[in-house]
Amino acid sequence: MTGRALVSLLRRPAPVLALLMTAVLGIVLAVGLHRAAGSAPDAAAGAAPGAPAPALAGPTLDGGHFDLADGRGRVVLVNVFASWCGPCRRELPLLVDVSQRWSAQGVQLVGINVKDGTAAVRALLAETGAESMTVLPDPDGTLAVGWGARGVPETFVVDRDGRIVDRRRGEVTRQWLEQRVGPLLTG
Amino acid sequence: MLAEAGTAVLAGGMLAATLSTLLWLRTALFGGSSRPARFATTATLAAAVAGCALLEWALLRHDFSVRFVAENGGRDVPLYYTVTGLWAGLEGSLLLWLLIHCGYTWWLSRYAHRHPPRLHAYAMVVVSAAGTFFFALTHFAANPFGEVFPVPPDGPGPNPLLQQHPAMGLHPPLLYAGYIGLVVPFGFAVAALITGRTAHDWARIVRPWTLFAWAALTAGIGLGAWWSYTVLGWGGYWVWDPVENASLLPWLTATAFLHTSFGRSAARPTWNVLLACASFALVLLGTFLTRSGAVASVHAFTDSPLGPMLLGAVLLAVVVPTVLFGLRGGTRPARGRTAALSTGTALLANAVILLTVTAMVLIGTVFPLLSDALGGPRTAVGPAYYHRTAVPLAVVLLLVMGVAPVLRSAGRGAYRRLAVPAGAALATVAAAGTLSRPGLPALAAFAAAAFVLTGLAGQFARRVRRRPRAAGLGGLLAHAGIAVVALGVAGSAAYSDSVERELRVGETLRLSATSVRLVEIRRDADPGVMSVDARLRLVTAAGHERTASPTLRYYPGRDTAVTVPEVVSDPLRDSYVTLIAVAADSTSATVRLAVNPLVGLLWAGGLLTTAAGVVAMAGAVRRRPGVRRPPDRRTAVDAAPAERTPV
Amino acid sequence: MNRRRALGAAVLVLLTVAAGVALFRSAAAGDDPARSIAAGLRCPSCQGESVADSSSPVAAAMRQVVADQLAQGRSPDEIRHWFTERYGDDVLADPPLSGPGVLLWAVPALVLLGSGYAAVRTLRPAGRRTGVPVGPAGGPGRRTAWRLGAVGLVAMVGAVAFGAAQVGRPAGDGGPPDPAAVAVLLARDLEQQGRYADAARMYRQALETRPDVDVRLRLAFTLVRAGAPADAEQEARRLLAGTPDLPDALLVLGLAQRETSPDRAPETLRRFLDVAPGHPAAGEVRRLLAPDG
Repeated sequence: MTGRALVSLLRRPAPVLALLMTAVLGIVLAVGLHRAAGSAPDAAAGAAPGAPAPALAGPTLDGGHFDLADGRGRVVLVNVFASWCGPCRRELPLLVDVSQRWSAQGVQLVGINVKDGTAAVRALLAETGAESMTVLPDPDGTLAVGWGARGVPETFVVDRDGRIVDRRRGEVTRQWLEQRVGPLLTG
Repeated sequence: MLAEAGTAVLAGGMLAATLSTLLWLRTALFGGSSRPARFATTATLAAAVAGCALLEWALLRHDFSVRFVAENGGRDVPLYYTVTGLWAGLEGSLLLWLLIHCGYTWWLSRYAHRHPPRLHAYAMVVVSAAGTFFFALTHFAANPFGEVFPVPPDGPGPNPLLQQHPAMGLHPPLLYAGYIGLVVPFGFAVAALITGRTAHDWARIVRPWTLFAWAALTAGIGLGAWWSYTVLGWGGYWVWDPVENASLLPWLTATAFLHTSFGRSAARPTWNVLLACASFALVLLGTFLTRSGAVASVHAFTDSPLGPMLLGAVLLAVVVPTVLFGLRGGTRPARGRTAALSTGTALLANAVILLTVTAMVLIGTVFPLLSDALGGPRTAVGPAYYHRTAVPLAVVLLLVMGVAPVLRSAGRGAYRRLAVPAGAALATVAAAGTLSRPGLPALAAFAAAAFVLTGLAGQFARRVRRRPRAAGLGGLLAHAGIAVVALGVAGSAAYSDSVERELRVGETLRLSATSVRLVEIRRDADPGVMSVDARLRLVTAAGHERTASPTLRYYPGRDTAVTVPEVVSDPLRDSYVTLIAVAADSTSATVRLAVNPLVGLLWAGGLLTTAAGVVAMAGAVRRRPGVRRPPDRRTAVDAAPAERTPV
Repeated sequence: MNRRRALGAAVLVLLTVAAGVALFRSAAAGDDPARSIAAGLRCPSCQGESVADSSSPVAAAMRQVVADQLAQGRSPDEIRHWFTERYGDDVLADPPLSGPGVLLWAVPALVLLGSGYAAVRTLRPAGRRTGVPVGPAGGPGRRTAWRLGAVGLVAMVGAVAFGAAQVGRPAGDGGPPDPAAVAVLLARDLEQQGRYADAARMYRQALETRPDVDVRLRLAFTLVRAGAPADAEQEARRLLAGTPDLPDALLVLGLAQRETSPDRAPETLRRFLDVAPGHPAAGEVRRLLAPDG
């Protein structure tokens, strides 16, 4: 009886084809699901670590001029920020603190200030004790886009050879800074 | 306490659902009274009601010892959003799903005496088995009644995006009513395959049910679009996001099913079975895609252990009907050829196009997974793909829609009736193309919509002169609704414009005849939410002046910001003001002003289509086949006496 | 009658010509290159929106970049390449028409052909096929069906239960609805509000579902601030039992010991300095130790 049923099933190509396609789709979806559970969504960032840092030059907030190319031999923390962004305000004291502690070992903090008012940034810098920070105003956000920033805040670690070692979207933590910047200081 | 009671209720519901499935199976196989089975179905519904009531009670009492409340409740959340919080998280929304599913099952069980008994019993087996699966899923994999210890003092509240608009109370239940209602045609299609009655009256029996589900799904999709337009603040209503696609997929196949099963449904049994099964399978697939975190989306509830189980359900829902189909074979009625140009052709052309659109949306939605599995990048498919593929097909679909009514009365003079609609379409293109430059796709859509609407108007006039019938009227209205939606989509896409600039207080932003002046910026800090709103003086293109106050809200509990726009609607256009950013010293704000013409047509069309579904349902209920109540309900379980087995 | 028909035809022809002109005008208008490039880029900070449509600041900046580069005379392809260098291939809204991208067109085309063929077959049946018997004749017996159905149902419920037990465990790295993440978020808020005791309780709760080193460290620091150094010491020791020289654990242990057993604190803190001389807190710790050493 079941044998006959099987034969009748095989005689009809459409259902068999549908079953095969279902099986393939099922496997693909299962694989996709498995990978989705495994991989962090952050992994697919552009400007891969190890790539040379994009150019960063221009007038600074205090009237000077900054060029990242002049900073070869130093470890540069490039922080994309804005005074209107809460997480940026929160992380700024930490960044300033870390860069000041390590300034002797050649760490410099550079801010790309996206779409912000001059007065508002000055107020923020004064509030967080970050007056010493080099800030490049970026009124239309194009500098940040040149770095492949996806939002604010975002922080890049550039090593002494001018290569991006790592990047972090969102607020930085002390631990992350230590892990990424620490090893660069000895070299 | 409450948590334990909830878990117990879920376990009880699972047992009741299992029992009712087995009892319906017994009724289907051996005959006998369906009373025990109906009793078990009622008990299942009671469990689902109790489960929802308990969780709602816990939410209202801020009982943070219940896990779901600790994750989605909050003391500062307004009452309304506390109540709707039931479906703001994965577990609670599954509970709502269960409630609706059990409601449908119970409702369907009450029709035991009006349908062919064996068909009905098998359909109940399928529907109850699906209920059992969802009970098991809720109980084992997504139990909202987990206990939290120590009890937290407060919760983060529902996702802020779900706290912005009263539509939150209506959108998910409507959408679920649409999704789950499709289990009824699925159940009957499988039952028809089992009993070998695919060419019989099952399609007519499920028509009112399908129409109800379809109307709810249409309303849910429309409301969702409206909600994202008025709440999310980016000015659009549809981004081909996986969750939106997941709701569109079953809508497409259900629409096709309503067409193939129209009129002499027996003529297209295989299509009916295929489309009815595909609709529910796509509901499950959509649930899998959006709930498992496999495809990222704005709406997606994040990672949950549900993925593999839902995937299993999808495969089961595809494999079981396919195998049954292979075993039973489609009944192919031996008839002569159908005329090349007939209503049957139009209905099938509609089905073919809708299936192709379904395939596009489906492949576009799962593409990240496919590409990943094939070693490519895991990139999502952007709206551009859908615009390029779905828009031309939609235009063709509209044309078929416009031509179809003429094919019914296939006289030689019938084609002349197309002259006026064609003239209207050409005139629309000439006028729109001369007065503005909306681009080719929009022009094509305008033309097709004008073609359909003019044709429908003529048909309506003829119909009124004769005797109007509700069922036919529903079809007319639905077509008109879809054409109006097409006008709205094409018009708003072609003519929308926007500007964005930082404004100091007192400055004015202009967009042709529309302008806004920034009056003041106010900050508020309520518990649980910080908000800034800008008061603006808006002068619309029609010359009306009024105050607009778009808002930026920040929810520290979930570290999420929400931009709530202010939309001022005229009959012809919407003025859409969004607050993008505010300077720390409150002296200036970045404001986006958009003018979106014809968006109102979209909502009007959606409403019309939903209403059409309800009208058609009313008609279908009245024409329900009169299967007589058998004289003795205890033994009359199948028409074929030879198959009756004494119980 | 004939004149009416001729008039109708003339009107239709006239309308066709007018519509043709209108169509030609629309087609000739061409596309704004800046807009078409922006429409082909995916806004990196939003979901599903193109750079052309999004109102997010990043998208606005990217539109500006597109306009700037066009003004500099770069070609659309060069501009797209510039963006993929910075944002990866993901930034392109359309998957390329190679590799898996072919599926996007092949699958709908196959469905169109397949369902079209089926539709033609439905309309013009090619004679009756000798067929498969329809009806219950070929099916298994009723008792077998009953047993199969019952077993299948129980198997389904069992599979869900088993699957939940298997899969439910490692679900740990979700977003907010993950209880541990919610607890950590709540705790962080409480910490910022200065409600250290409550924050510590939330961290504890998070640790129950996810024993994570970072969370335990935060718990320990919070406990020190909440004025429960003994508990903090206990947490720090638990951490050190796992990783003997974890700098932050040494630090918090030292800080806690300054309250509980001040004589042992300097030793712990010196060990901390030995392990992590470049630690951001190292300066502070040196200052703390200075009067003693």
